[in-house]
Amino acid sequence: MTALDWLVLVGSVAFIAIYGTVRNARVSTAQDYLKGGDLRWPTIGLSIMATQASAVTFLSVPGQAYEDGMRFVQFYFGLPLAMVIISAVFVPMYYRMRVFTAYEYLEQRFDVRVRVLAALLFMMGRGLAAGISLYAPAIILSALLGWSLNAMNVLIGAVVILYTVTGGAKAVSQTQKQQMVVILAGILVAAVVIAANLPVSVADATTLAGALGRMEIIDLSLDPNSRYTLWSGLTGGLFLSLSYFGTDQSQVQRYIGGRSLTESRLGLLFNGLFKIPMQALILFIGVLMFAFYLFEKPPVFFNEPTLEAVRQTEHADELAALEARWDEAFEARRAQAEALARADTPEARAGLQAAQAEMDGLRDEAKALIRQAVPTAELQDGDYIFLSFVLAWMPPGLVGLLVAVILMAAMSSTSSELSALGSTSVVDLYKRLVRPDADEAHTVRMSKLFTVSWGLVAVAFATFAALLDNLIEAVNILGSIFYGVILGIFLLALFFRRVRATPALLAAIVGQVAVVGLFLASDIGFLWFNLIGCALVVGLALCFQAVGGALRQLKGDTP
Amino acid sequence: MTPSPDDPPPLLRTWNRLYALVLGVLLLEIVVFWLVTGAYA
Repeated sequence: MTALDWLVLVGSVAFIAIYGTVRNARVSTAQDYLKGGDLRWPTIGLSIMATQASAVTFLSVPGQAYEDGMRFVQFYFGLPLAMVIISAVFVPMYYRMRVFTAYEYLEQRFDVRVRVLAALLFMMGRGLAAGISLYAPAIILSALLGWSLNAMNVLIGAVVILYTVTGGAKAVSQTQKQQMVVILAGILVAAVVIAANLPVSVADATTLAGALGRMEIIDLSLDPNSRYTLWSGLTGGLFLSLSYFGTDQSQVQRYIGGRSLTESRLGLLFNGLFKIPMQALILFIGVLMFAFYLFEKPPVFFNEPTLEAVRQTEHADELAALEARWDEAFEARRAQAEALARADTPEARAGLQAAQAEMDGLRDEAKALIRQAVPTAELQDGDYIFLSFVLAWMPPGLVGLLVAVILMAAMSSTSSELSALGSTSVVDLYKRLVRPDADEAHTVRMSKLFTVSWGLVAVAFATFAALLDNLIEAVNILGSIFYGVILGIFLLALFFRRVRATPALLAAIVGQVAVVGLFLASDIGFLWFNLIGCALVVGLALCFQAVGGALRQLKGDTP
Repeated sequence: MTPSPDDPPPLLRTWNRLYALVLGVLLLEIVVFWLVTGAYA
């Protein structure tokens, strides 16, 4: 990185951290610290988007489009539906009950056991995800820029903990507004620069990428093992979004701090309107990057430090030979791409597809060689594609901006998670079970203590996250394992008034064990866990309620 | 935090219309993506 890149990077990150810390240094009420104060809808909307858009969004998603095309956008189709349902049903309920966390409602509807179980499930899923949010940029920046992985984990963690602890939910929402502006600017600039550097027009680039399957967006197949289809996006995505935005405290905290119910609803609907276009644009950046690499030679494997490690082994000659074949295959593919750009004929398409298959085969050979030479190396390089492209091809200044975008995304999602984990720990566990008489000052002090503790847990977990494959999928899989069950509990509370606390509690425990069992023992696409977990909890609770009712009746009938 | 469920939204006058707009945009996006998929298939 050049001096200009460092200036942009350090300047923008330091500005946000100082702004968040100084502006909210005097936040002292539980209302402001735990809820965020009187927020307007643009702040709420951007804060919701910033919480969901973590660093993995910018590291993994373009790489995913590079390898698999734009089909991942289907994952977000359930989101606008969920925003409407949450605006119409969940938000008025949270406002009516004046809750600080989503789980308080469960005690009012069921009992304290169900509230604590839901809070614990949230803390398990979100506590681990916070670690991945920190780890994701750290591992990739450390690999590509040579920075120390542990130092990065600690540094990003420390900055986030500083302003989150100082200003609580208010600081989180206010800094996220600034962060999201930088993030959106970075995305737009990246798209324009890649498009400007293409040797062909954007239309031709899309045709070339489309010929190689990168523009297959909608998949209508009914295969449950297919990860992203229209149906899994609409149903699984709906349940995941309902659970995430409606019951996950890191999101609920963003909108219950609104100035009014109207502001909260508008913030959610803003997200419902703009999330899909934003994700489509990020995916399209990956497609343009793929088209760019049809004319400029990409590395055979995007994680350069891993290739360097292979070069230090006895397999170095094999790698050199493979790279020579890669160079030839690339030249052949470039010739085919140029031919197709000149004239779009079936022969030209077939030629390009055959050349691409040859290169895909060589990439597989390279991965097999890496596995042989460095058995501990990570074989998925999708998360490295975008950043290695940025470092190799973006002009000075922009590299710093895009690295800042990745760091800010990591900071924004992690700060939401830590603030929500801190408030849930205090409101649903500490204040409810340990110190019900705690005054406001003590509550805020304990919230700060819990937020710091969760920050340290996240930094510690980030150290162990290296074993995971694609990072964005890891976050979503983790969420899907817990979210379906939490959503099932909330749906029971909202729509099945006859179901009592004990059947709901038992159904949630059995349902969670079943989902974890399915995750470990089956190949079902992870999005379906949201639907399965939710359906299991609702179905089992209704059964338990009916059996319990029948048993009570029998007992009553017995003389 | 004011519970005011009946406040109309600043545009389209009723919440149901605003919800319909969000869902309509989703439908439009799916149709556009489907057409794009067909065009490049």
